[in-house]
Amino acid sequence: MSAKRIFAIARRVMRQIRHDRRTVALMIFAPMLMLTLGAILFRSDTAVIPLGIVNEDEGLAVPMSGRLVIGERIAEELAAQGTFAIKELSRDQIDASLRGGTVDAVLVLPADFSAQFAQTRQAVLDLRLEGSNPSLSAGIAARVTQAAMKALVGLGSLTGASTGGESKLPVTVNATYLYAGAEFDTMDYVAPVYIGVLVMFFVFLLTCVSFLRERSQGTMERLMATPASHAEIVLGYMAGLGLFALIQSTVILTFTIWVLKIHYLGSLALLFLVVIMLALTGVSLGILASAFARNEFQVVQFIPLVIIPQALLGGTFWAVEDLPVYLRLLAYAMPLTYANRALRDVMLKGWGLGDIWPNLLILAAIVAALTFLGARTMRREVA
Amino acid sequence: MDAVVETRAIHKHFGAIRAVDGVDMAVRPGEIYGLLGPNGSGKTTLIRLLVGLLRPTEGSATVLGRAVPDKSLLAEVGYMTQASALYEDLTVRENVGFFAEMCGGVPRARVDEVIALVDLGERANSVVRTLSGGLRQRASLACALVHRPRLLLLDEPTVGVDPQLRATFWAYFRGLANDGVTLIVSSHVMDEAERCDRLGFMRQGRLLAEGSERELRDRAGTATLEQAFIRFAEKGLGPEAPDSQSLGDFGSPGTGGAQ
Repeated sequence: MSAKRIFAIARRVMRQIRHDRRTVALMIFAPMLMLTLGAILFRSDTAVIPLGIVNEDEGLAVPMSGRLVIGERIAEELAAQGTFAIKELSRDQIDASLRGGTVDAVLVLPADFSAQFAQTRQAVLDLRLEGSNPSLSAGIAARVTQAAMKALVGLGSLTGASTGGESKLPVTVNATYLYAGAEFDTMDYVAPVYIGVLVMFFVFLLTCVSFLRERSQGTMERLMATPASHAEIVLGYMAGLGLFALIQSTVILTFTIWVLKIHYLGSLALLFLVVIMLALTGVSLGILASAFARNEFQVVQFIPLVIIPQALLGGTFWAVEDLPVYLRLLAYAMPLTYANRALRDVMLKGWGLGDIWPNLLILAAIVAALTFLGARTMRREVA
Repeated sequence: MDAVVETRAIHKHFGAIRAVDGVDMAVRPGEIYGLLGPNGSGKTTLIRLLVGLLRPTEGSATVLGRAVPDKSLLAEVGYMTQASALYEDLTVRENVGFFAEMCGGVPRARVDEVIALVDLGERANSVVRTLSGGLRQRASLACALVHRPRLLLLDEPTVGVDPQLRATFWAYFRGLANDGVTLIVSSHVMDEAERCDRLGFMRQGRLLAEGSERELRDRAGTATLEQAFIRFAEKGLGPEAPDSQSLGDFGSPGTGGAQ
């Protein structure tokens, strides 16, 4: 054992790292970037939830104090809570509003709501939920129940009934769902986009490393000395890795559906289409990124710069709409955002090609732009 | 006879560095043209210009009658890079087969034929990663030959190759030339010069002289080619030119000297 030799090795290792300035910068800035993103995401206030109310309650004649409209009291209480932005709707607007995303849920109070309550001392709240985000649905149901309970306090005497002494809660929610349903849980919500993130991630790494090898082992130069064009090379990579991604996603999807028992609604063929487009995104992103990496180590460094921000901001865990505006703009520049949206629309809402095509179109445009840039970096090196 | 390769005052500058600095050369059909010069004299850059991998800064070149760069030419040009450029995780046959497909119109049987030609028949199914340097060079040559090119551009094909294999390589080259293929072979080893039909001396991006070995020695009035090179360097590049250091870059045969 020679301490001198150990120190010499330590010094040499540190010297080598110091010569790679990008690595040093990344070791310091990447964690700060990750932590900043985390802080913003975890600390951001939950956005106001748009809630529709269809209030048809005709109320109830009460001796001495005129009419009592319980539905109105509940609506007032919901507005006072601050978590909801209330929108008055009519019955025929319910599903259209949910579908269009202007409200996340609609509370329906029928004409005989007050009368029913007076009779049964039970308030049954008809809650129509958008449903594709199970944790959001559960949150809305709980908050609506809470508000209704508060609104009903002390109403027992007014309606000539007594709520005291009853073990049963006076409020129950009768939830119905536009998409998905009560059997969907958070895993069902996250699984579709997980698949997307994983496919893109692996295809990106694979392309990046393969292209880097082509450059470092001289085969790229050799390939350029054949009649093969830049476009043929890029398309060849896309076809090869796209097919590989198809096999990969088939296995992953089969596993998630049959072993992890994930619920899904839409067509699997459409799901594969989105996954393939994501794989192509990964290939084009990989080709572009490989131009900026000198070795495999630097490829690995792209993960916190290229993949993780997309996974955090692209709507995987936090809805893009809830992000602060500057992060939202960033998210809209990321291909994963559109893929995630399309994947969820297909798996949780059962939407078809006619509904998700705008997202696919944007994704295709991003792939085209990245491919163009990637092919340009190839041109820069030779001829 | 029309020249197979002709350059007219061709230049390639990388920033301030004049890698190729005004070269006029002409290569005749069916000859082996040796491009001789020390490391860093511009041989590789000149070859890459002829392949069309680089665009000339000034001047021009025609290859097989067409101006380069021209992608469509490449089906008729074979190129072997200085370091063997092969897919490490594929077998020899897969590598040769791939480059055959890139050129198009190559029959399947040709792949095995060319592998046999470079004596790699027994290792055809070996993964390149497991091959020694000499075997890799042979596989690289097979990739450059597979599509029966009319012009072969070989950048230091014999670097790091043992003397026996070097002799074999030169025998292949002569055989190809006899079949009408034109070859440009770069080297920094003087003793390979005698195997070429004509030579071009390169130094500091310029072509000092062109001719057969004998012509060059006669014109310089020297006994050896090495002395002739020094004489041309003195004449061609002014008073400060013949610094012993750049000439010292010449390797002795077989030692190799990859850049």
